Amino acid sequence: MTEKLTAKDYISSLKPIWCPGCGDFAVLNAVAKAFSILELPPENIAVISGIGCSSRLPGYLKTYGFNAIHGRALPIAAGLKLARPDITVLAVGGDGDIFSIGGNHLPHVARRNIDLTCVVMDNGIYGLTKGQVSPTTPLGEKTVTTTYGSIEDPIQPLKLLLSYEASFVAQSTSVDPKHLVEMIVAAMRHKGFSFVNVRSPCVTYRGKEQYDIIRKRSVYIDKLPDYDPTDMRKAWHHAITPEYISLGILYKSERDTYTERQARLRQTAKRGREWKIEELINGFMP
Amino acid sequence: MEICDIKIGMAGSGGDGVVSAGDILAASAASEGINCLMLKSFGPQIRGGESSCRLRLSTKPIYSQGDCLDVLVVFNWVNFSRFISELPVHEGTYVLVEENDKTEQIPLIDIEKCHVIQVPFERLALEGAQNPKAKNMVTLGILAELFCLPKDGIKRAIEKKFFKKGNEIIVANHKAVDVGVNFVKENCSPPSFHFVNKPQKPLMAITGNEAIALGAIAAGCRFFSSYPITPATEIMEWLSRELPKFDGTVLQAEDEISAINAVIGASYGGIRAMTSTSGPGLSLKLEAIGLAAMAEIPVVIVDVQRGGPSTGIPTKTEQADLMQAVYGMHGDAPHAVLAPCDVKDCFEVCWRAFDIAERYQMPVIILSDQFLGQRKETVSSFDFSNVKVGDRSAPILTEGNLFVRYRDTDTGISPITCPGMKGGEYLASGIEHTEEGFPSSQYETHERMSTKRAKKLNALEDSYGFIRRYGVLKPKVGVLAWGSTKGAVREAVERLNKEGFASAALIPQIIYPIQKKEVKEFVDSCDRLLIVEMSHSGQFEHYLAGQGLLPPNVLHYRSSGGRVFTSEEIICAIRAAAEGRTFVPKAQIKPLRLEGKDEE
Repeated sequence: MTEKLTAKDYISSLKPIWCPGCGDFAVLNAVAKAFSILELPPENIAVISGIGCSSRLPGYLKTYGFNAIHGRALPIAAGLKLARPDITVLAVGGDGDIFSIGGNHLPHVARRNIDLTCVVMDNGIYGLTKGQVSPTTPLGEKTVTTTYGSIEDPIQPLKLLLSYEASFVAQSTSVDPKHLVEMIVAAMRHKGFSFVNVRSPCVTYRGKEQYDIIRKRSVYIDKLPDYDPTDMRKAWHHAITPEYISLGILYKSERDTYTERQARLRQTAKRGREWKIEELINGFMP
Repeated sequence: MEICDIKIGMAGSGGDGVVSAGDILAASAASEGINCLMLKSFGPQIRGGESSCRLRLSTKPIYSQGDCLDVLVVFNWVNFSRFISELPVHEGTYVLVEENDKTEQIPLIDIEKCHVIQVPFERLALEGAQNPKAKNMVTLGILAELFCLPKDGIKRAIEKKFFKKGNEIIVANHKAVDVGVNFVKENCSPPSFHFVNKPQKPLMAITGNEAIALGAIAAGCRFFSSYPITPATEIMEWLSRELPKFDGTVLQAEDEISAINAVIGASYGGIRAMTSTSGPGLSLKLEAIGLAAMAEIPVVIVDVQRGGPSTGIPTKTEQADLMQAVYGMHGDAPHAVLAPCDVKDCFEVCWRAFDIAERYQMPVIILSDQFLGQRKETVSSFDFSNVKVGDRSAPILTEGNLFVRYRDTDTGISPITCPGMKGGEYLASGIEHTEEGFPSSQYETHERMSTKRAKKLNALEDSYGFIRRYGVLKPKVGVLAWGSTKGAVREAVERLNKEGFASAALIPQIIYPIQKKEVKEFVDSCDRLLIVEMSHSGQFEHYLAGQGLLPPNVLHYRSSGGRVFTSEEIICAIRAAAEGRTFVPKAQIKPLRLEGKDEE
């Protein structure tokens, strides 16, 4: 039996390009920690990303990784998981990648309940291209492309995910690495599609004060009276409340995964026997 | 006169069952071992509207749909007018027309030269068969009796088609066929020709889209993701039914982009994977195809071309995605482009596409088109034993050593692993990377890795003989064509050679990288070179010229898609080329203007 791997054993020798103080360091460490807690062999994990600061993350891990094109982490992850259900698949990315350019993939991977985990490092800015407004930038905020302040209402990711029939919706933050590990572990343990929105500060373009803002406004929802993550109405309350940033599992439900349904579909198609390619010819005979 | 090659066209409104009748006729031909090629054509309406089909039945091999029709069935002249260029007639064509049709201006200029037979199709169906919907079955009876087509085969095909609907329906349809047969016996004098054949071993009747799907399963494809698009959708429809029997996955994706990326994900996981689309979808997939080229992931992309650009003519064919398929990607993205040229070829090209994709770790685009994808052809067999798809180059993994995924080798082909293989962990990336897979933005790395990836194309060009040549060795005129135009071109060349006019044709099946040596040899062997293609701007000609393969006095014969070439016009083009002229066809007959109707 090989020795139990620690978080460090999952981290590669490549030095991250992230700025000092970037929230994404905490996510990288939390992901590695989650792998070690779940005792996953590195060769059985694939971490898929698109483009953006946070999408560099797979390169910093010793697992299988795919740093693909902008917005397409989810379809690549979905294709991999459906083809190889034995592999643990993680899709990671930023708010621009997952909610903006790749925004059409999220509803479909969620409703299909494909058994993978999506971790979004939501910093409310396009960092890699140096500070443009993103779909989660607050109204009124000045960026290099919103010189006079943003005039667009931001997307609220948790609301989206609840409407998309996601079977696991959680939020955490780089400000609390311990909670972050807990949430990623819970998401990865969940059978079906799991989504973790991580409030991950961009200190370069949105300021160091982001850490304080998140810390002050956060509420751990599992500490609230009558917390029940199986109750969709309560989940909605935590997703839409303007009072605080909800941290924790908002919603969790059990239902068949795509792969489970597909296994039954195959049985129906096969009618209880193995098929030979030569038999396909019969369908074309007069 | 006895004939062994007959061309039949039918046009009517959607409810007339024209295509259904064509399908039955094709199946009956196949069941008696008669070669058949059938084209369907529809108006833009989802249901109803107008539809047409044309069939060619022959006891000899069929290369094209044939030139002018021997028999034309018209249920309604207005509907026919939509297909006027697809259903040409000539002197002596038998035109069977609905007696009851009220169209005042008949949209056929030479109608008086044809043998027009007024047939009460509607009345026969209603009074004889007690079923107004059985018009098409009555028609089959009439055609069978008049021209000696396989009557028993038609009845067998009806039994098979309506098997699930029960005996009552079958009996009713058989009765309608007999009504048609009796009508001819009682009312018609024998025509000037009739079809003769000796029943042979039954053939398969299959479309190009189905043959591609079959080729994919034979090649070991077990993951397919696509988005509905005309005229490629039948590939997904067929695979969604058949692939689960082989434990495969079919995912109808939320968009074209998702489909190609899911395929890349599956292939990254070590499973052979394919997507299908048409021109607009290929445009959307190009970025991801570039990713597959950069990350060196084997994938197969089928583009069943249609009239473009933009929405263009979704239901009609064209060969104008060539430049997009070859040069569409940003950056230098080594990949391969293959083109099947008939239905049987669709099967072979598809499994070979997988072979190239897997061996060379690159995306392979198959350029089919509507004319190939949606036509039905009889095929004697597919050779499954011949299907050999090469494996990916597997590494020898030693624990503790970093796996060098993108190792530079003589051929540029590197060892590849997939998730689950211990010691083979690596980062696949669209960002430029070192041999180890680490991101790099250095010139030296980019130059070196670009060379490494490009080397695979040289290896492919040198090792893959995949080209077809027809005709004489020293032609007066040589034709260079690709894809579905092969049929008419081959037929034209063989007809001319029979008449003593030395001609030849070369049809490359690997379009990119083009096999320069073979093409050059052919070009050098011709007195005159003619390029034939269904592209208004001449994309194939410009592509070959860009490769430095064309002589300065090259001639072309091209048209936009929407109408496929006949061997007759190719013959004219070849004869004109021999005199150094470009053939200009006669202006098309102006279609009947339909007031106030949505023309597309």
